[in-house]
Amino acid sequence: MRLSLAALAFAIAAAAAEPGEVGQHVSTLHLRDLENRELTFSLHGKPTAVVFISALCPVSNAYNDRLNALYRAFSSRGVQLLFVNSNSNESAAEIAEHRRQAEFLFPVLRDTSNQVADQMGASTTPEAFLFDGRGILRYRGAIDDAKNPARVKQSYLALGLDELLANKPVTTAQSKSFGCTIHRVRKLN
Amino acid sequence: MRFLLSFFVSGALAAAAGLTPLAEPDYTKLIAAHKGKVVLVNFWATYCVPCRAEMPSLVKLHEKLKAKGFQLVTISADEPEDEGRAVMFLDTTKVPAPRYIRKAKSEDAFIQFLDPKWSGALPATFLYDRTGKKIKALFGEADLKALEALILKTL
Repeated sequence: MRLSLAALAFAIAAAAAEPGEVGQHVSTLHLRDLENRELTFSLHGKPTAVVFISALCPVSNAYNDRLNALYRAFSSRGVQLLFVNSNSNESAAEIAEHRRQAEFLFPVLRDTSNQVADQMGASTTPEAFLFDGRGILRYRGAIDDAKNPARVKQSYLALGLDELLANKPVTTAQSKSFGCTIHRVRKLN
Repeated sequence: MRFLLSFFVSGALAAAAGLTPLAEPDYTKLIAAHKGKVVLVNFWATYCVPCRAEMPSLVKLHEKLKAKGFQLVTISADEPEDEGRAVMFLDTTKVPAPRYIRKAKSEDAFIQFLDPKWSGALPATFLYDRTGKKIKALFGEADLKALEALILKTL
């Protein structure tokens, strides 16, 4: 009985969280690959990092090597890393060419209707969202605290992933940094 | 008052050569120094395409409304090594002083201080009335017609 009450409290708290608010629950994400095939990702069972990126944004591009390093370090430790492009002004061909030039080790996924960006309240590239194995948002914000890698003092996303993998609470829940606005699809009211 | 005035004047003079560095306490002083005017603070960066695209329109707005007590203030979010490029763009676009570059110890704290709802995505524009009260925060490209109407209403 005590357990079910705790589960109920958890469900209410997660349901009450706004998009992008730490504590928000997300169970699945619907994205497309660069061949426009629809893919569904479950956020249950293992930690997931969703990173919004851009082929055109210089701030996002300043992180290309760091994104590869994150992928290399954490995909082998059971983390699901999803790199998402939600920009309506970047075509699949441009994103594919950028992926080739940046020598990304990971696929880039498209969010053509901004459904995933809206789901998480994402507005910036680069911007990261870290979910635990129950699909609860534990961190949102910058990948680290400096565009210039030489000036990085806090690697927020990597630290959060280390903490989740060690079953520890994520100490920094949110951070902000300058970046590019996600170019959303114009929606008719 | 003398301090506020000297801060404002030194900012304007420094802008002739480079950009005036600005952190959280400086921002509060900047807004206080402009009391009596309607102030539009625009955060931009050389790497931000929509920021560069909307800047000429903001300058036009400044020229059109400055006699009525309107002031455009620009704050570059560029890295220190890109300040020269920022100055070049501002000069070419004839952006008036005061012109600043952010120099906060923590980018995270600075953005949070400016507006808790702001993620840091550029451009971002904040409108202050004559009392120094923030009346509008615009994230992303501004709707310039709506912005001009709001400025006129505030003036």
